Formats: sequence, structure tokens, C-alpha cells
Amino acid sequence: MKTRRLLGIAAVAITMAFATTMASAQALNSGAQTIALNATLAESLTLSLSANSVNFTLAAGSATNAGSANITATTAWVLKPGRTAVGVYAYFTSATAALTDGAGDNIPSSAFYIADNAGASTALTTSAPFGAANAGLQLANVSITGTNKSASRTDVMAFNINLSGGTLPQLPANTYTGTLNIQAQATP
Amino acid sequence: MSAQTKLGRIAAVLALMIAALATRVDAQVRNSGASPIALQAVLSQSLSVTLSSSSVNFTLQAGNANNPGSVSVTAKTVWALNNTIGLVSLYAFFANSTAALTDGAGYNIPSSDFQISDNGGGFTALTGSAPFGGANAGLRLGTTFIFGNNVGSRTDAMTFNINLSGLPNLPPGTYTGTLTLQAQAI
Repeated sequence: MKTRRLLGIAAVAITMAFATTMASAQALNSGAQTIALNATLAESLTLSLSANSVNFTLAAGSATNAGSANITATTAWVLKPGRTAVGVYAYFTSATAALTDGAGDNIPSSAFYIADNAGASTALTTSAPFGAANAGLQLANVSITGTNKSASRTDVMAFNINLSGGTLPQLPANTYTGTLNIQAQATP
Repeated sequence: MSAQTKLGRIAAVLALMIAALATRVDAQVRNSGASPIALQAVLSQSLSVTLSSSSVNFTLQAGNANNPGSVSVTAKTVWALNNTIGLVSLYAFFANSTAALTDGAGYNIPSSDFQISDNGGGFTALTGSAPFGGANAGLRLGTTFIFGNNVGSRTDAMTFNINLSGLPNLPPGTYTGTLTLQAQAI
């Protein structure tokens, strides 16, 4: 009888110990801490050139005075939604004096020609978004769709100075210098 | 109108304004930087003379004033000059005034007996001093003033004569010499 009682007490003790162990196994969670994420893909439009100088050996009155080297313009862009086109332009800051000898004798932009990607040679006689009136040329116009919001293009430019027109056959012998600018614009 | 409705309308107007502003920001064009290309074009000065022929023969008659050359020779002078040049002149000359032509045995025809008619003008002996050749052995055929014609040309058609009236005792023989044409821009 005594033994039975002892066994009963032991059973109760084991059960209590097991219950305590079960209570200790339940997960303890902290409060949730949030991290705000902000990723910005900036809009960009860049243009780089393979070289930045061209020389010409002129022959008086000649229509063909090729530049010493072609130059490749690489235009790269990452654009926001809503952009519809990227234009690449070449221009001078003066239509009448694209190149000058500094003594009043000038070569106008209308005598300066660019052939883009082996296309037809075209004078800089239009008004671009940059530069002087009638001193520009749009080299390219790329329509932006859903598939080329991040893309690039290359324009290989060959240059020529035409001295056959107007008073240019009488251009005095001298050294003529000027700066041609290449620039891209994304619209709207 | 309840305060709640008013607040709702204000919020709607604000939303529209913000949307419009955002559209305007997006509508601004974006430009790349301008990439310059330095251009240098050199038109060099040039001055050249070309002749239609490079030899003339004469059949001489002793003591005769008129011994014309076998052919006329045309000299074409072409130039591309800068603005500091004022004139272009063409000269004919010998290297030696006393022996313009010689038989190589001591007998000579001087430049003073060699005459040129330029573009149908009168015959003139080569007795002036040109910038080139021997003293008193030259002749300026023509001068062109450069006023706005920095690039141009001139043509001189020359006929020749050897006047032997002052050399009646010139021995028979073959007399050779070199007449030179040269232009100068100054």
C-alpha cells in the first residue's frame, strides 16, 4: 500500500516536470524592425567621341577636301518613361564663320559636310536645338520604345570642306580653325 | 457641403496639380554634354608656271633683225595666295646677259638681242634686271595686282625673235641657250 502511494507521487512529479519543459519550448519573438529600400536608376544621356580633332589640307576652289580622319560618336542613354526620341546633332556656333583665319576670312557651315555612317555628305545648314541658326545637322533620330529605353548608337562621321561655292574659290591661303560640336538630346 | 467632402475635393485638386507637375518635369528634354571636335584646315600658298612647250628653234640669217622663233610658247601662271600678297609678276630671264645663247666656242648672242613679244605686244629685249637670273638679262612680262583674287591665274603667250642686226659678223654655227620663265608674288 505504501509502495503504491510512492508510485503515485512519483507519477505526479514526472507529469509536472514534463509540463514545465513544454512551456519552455514555446517561441519568443521580438518586435519587427523595417528597412526602407530606395533604388534609383538615374536618367542618363551621354555622348563620347573616338577623337576630338580633324585636319584638312585644302586645295583652292576644290569641292573635295576630306578630313584627315573619321570620328565615331557613341551615344548611350538610360531614359525615363515618356521619352519618345533621342536625336544626335552636329553644329557650329556660327553659320557664317564655322572656320576662320582670324583675319576676316571664313569658311561657313554651309561649306562643311558630314557623311554619317557612310550616308550622303550633308552640309550643316539647318537649325539644331543647339548652336547657331542654320549651322546644324541632325545626324540621327532614334525612336524610343519599350525595348530601347536603355541603349546606345554609334555614328561614324566623315568630314569634307567644299570650297567650290560662292566666293570660296577666292579664299586666301591661310590656316582656318573652328570647333564642331556633337550633342544628343532626349525628348520630350 | 460637409467638411469631409471639402477635404476630399481639396485632395483631388492637389493630386491633379502634383500629376501635372510631374508631367511637366518629365516633359523637359534631357541633353548630353556637348563634345567638341577641333577643326584645322590649311590652305597653303602656291604659285606655279607651266609652259605649253619647252623648246624653240630659230633659223638665223646673218645680220637680219628678224629671226622669229619656230613656235609661240604660252606660260600659265596659277596662284593661291594669302592676303599679304599684293601682286604677281612673271619674268623671263637668262643666267648671263652676254651669252644668252652660245656656240660654246666663244661666240655668243647676248640677251639684248633676244626679244619677246608678250600677248601680241611689241618685241622687247631682255635687258632689265629681274629678281632672277643674270644682271641686265631679264624682262618682266606682266604683273597682276592681287585685290580679292587671291586664287587666280594669268596667261602669257610669247613669241620670240633674235635680232642679229647688231651682230652682223656672228659666225655660222649652232647657238644654244636656256630661257627661263619664273613668277614672283610679293
